[in-house]
Amino acid sequence: MAMDVIDYMIVGSEMQFVEVELDPGEAAIGEAGAMMYMQDGIQMDTVFGDGSQQASGLMGKLLGAGKRLLTGESLFTTVFHNEGQGKRRVAFAAPYPGKIIPVDLGQIGGTLICQKDSFLCAAKGVSLGIAFQKKLGAGLFGGEGFIMQRLEGDGLAFVHAGGTLQEQVLAPGETLRVDTGCVVAFQPSVDFDIQFVGKIKSAIFGGEGLFFATLRGPGKIWLQSLPLSRLANRIIMSAPAAGGRSADQGSLLGAGILGGILGSDD
Amino acid sequence: MHGSQFQGRLFGPGLPGTGIVARGHWDALGRLRVTPDGVGLHELSTDRPEIAASGFNNACLRLSWQQPEGAYALLIDSVDDRSRCAATAPEHCNRQLAAAVRQPDTLERRFRLGWGLLALLLLVPLLGLALFLLNADRLADWVVDKIPVAQEARLGELVLAQTRLQMKLIDSGPAVEALAAIGGKLTAGSAHRYRWFVAERPEVNAFAAPGGVVVVFSGLLTSAATPEELAGVLAHEVAHAELRHSLRGMVKGLGLRALVALVMGDISDNVLTGAATRLTELRFSRDAEREADANGLQRLVAARISPHGMLRFYERLTAEQRPSPPALLSTHPASGERLNWLRREVAALKGPWQPLPVDLARATAALR
Repeated sequence: MAMDVIDYMIVGSEMQFVEVELDPGEAAIGEAGAMMYMQDGIQMDTVFGDGSQQASGLMGKLLGAGKRLLTGESLFTTVFHNEGQGKRRVAFAAPYPGKIIPVDLGQIGGTLICQKDSFLCAAKGVSLGIAFQKKLGAGLFGGEGFIMQRLEGDGLAFVHAGGTLQEQVLAPGETLRVDTGCVVAFQPSVDFDIQFVGKIKSAIFGGEGLFFATLRGPGKIWLQSLPLSRLANRIIMSAPAAGGRSADQGSLLGAGILGGILGSDD
Repeated sequence: MHGSQFQGRLFGPGLPGTGIVARGHWDALGRLRVTPDGVGLHELSTDRPEIAASGFNNACLRLSWQQPEGAYALLIDSVDDRSRCAATAPEHCNRQLAAAVRQPDTLERRFRLGWGLLALLLLVPLLGLALFLLNADRLADWVVDKIPVAQEARLGELVLAQTRLQMKLIDSGPAVEALAAIGGKLTAGSAHRYRWFVAERPEVNAFAAPGGVVVVFSGLLTSAATPEELAGVLAHEVAHAELRHSLRGMVKGLGLRALVALVMGDISDNVLTGAATRLTELRFSRDAEREADANGLQRLVAARISPHGMLRFYERLTAEQRPSPPALLSTHPASGERLNWLRREVAALKGPWQPLPVDLARATAALR
């Protein structure tokens, strides 16, 4: 199937959005609710399932929708189709601070395994599926759960995750130990597993948890510096309304000076 | 030669990090030859590649080898290409290949086993609940058997205190004495110390709390025509108390609540617990009613009181056309089947019966 070739521009630094340029007749699919703006001439059409197959029958559609439900995406995908004469632009915004990365699926062999909920938008023709993590250890302690997302096709796909995203290339046999939860995406040639931190002392006091996620090459991987859950945890910890500690905002004696002196420094 | 070629992705020094498409085949000498797709790339070959399952979910077959400039790996992910590679591989690779091909299956099996165990773990409490519900009667009987009479009496005391809050109870006077006179005959030899109360309520109703507390509503007393009719109702209530029906209901309700809490977590104020409890508590089952009827009838016979009174009273209550059925019937549903059974039983019983030395009219005069 011929994928639509789309031009794009990623705008912003920490809270980004991606602007996609569609030629007449081209289309892009977006995660429902991710659209930020679109120009005249772009038709928005909401389809049940992932919009990659045109005529797959009711069962196929239901199955696709079920998969999306499992990976944390919404049941419907929105297709943005350029019905106009010239090039038209549509933009998709990331839902929380982080980075958007473009992945050319054709270049990496057609398949990308990524964190569930990380899909933002793609050229029409890219199919979204689930990739079950079948290694029990990696599923339980790898930080990404048992359900990951599989993007298939040969067009461009945009993936979003919290913090700063970095891509790395692993040579054959090269292994990288990664904090659990920081793996965003990888090529299917990469071996995703877990490894015990090594010592009981570091497991308890090291602060990294019991396991590292390990990624073994060859292939390309994408890592994130700050998973959303970690950010949310920190925000709640310091939010007074949620039972957290408010620094420098209480009364003079209570939370203000004494709290500041006695409390820790984060 | 073309039919034995297999396609994969080649990774190695100087190649793009994401790998490039490459074709491999085993030559006549058993060497692996790999031709990368693309201009300016030359063929690579190796004697003994290391073969292993690799990649996400071990779904790829990895052929890797070392060259002076670094490590190379060919990853084959399509099923067809993997089987072509395995079919034409030289003999010395077969053992490694077989192990690598088995790997994804092993993983799949373990995955299923793991989830199966997890599902089982989640199902065990539900199974326990189902087992409990199936055996609730037997379990309740067992527990009730362990409860001593003294404990039951204390429970009755609690129920009595609760009842006093809801309605006015009379514990002396001619009506109570009449109840005690009839009841004394019915409860001869009982382990419980029976106490009789009249509640000032117009409904035709009566109930027995655990430990020998029997409360008769004044509406019932005034609607009974003869002492034998009253004795019939009392015999039924005494039978409930002697057979510990209300105690069994409580035990069942408590057990169910405890188990529901165990399975679903602490949902003490939830709709579910309330519904489950209402279903089991206080309302006797049809079986319990039938049992109480039979036992009550035996008690009447043992006391030589005419059972025709019991039958007549039920018949009259059922026949009377009222806008709403009397309370006694709504809690003790007098279905046609039950009445027919009672008729048959009573017809089979032979006297002589001793008349009850109770002046019902005088006893209930104060209540009218």
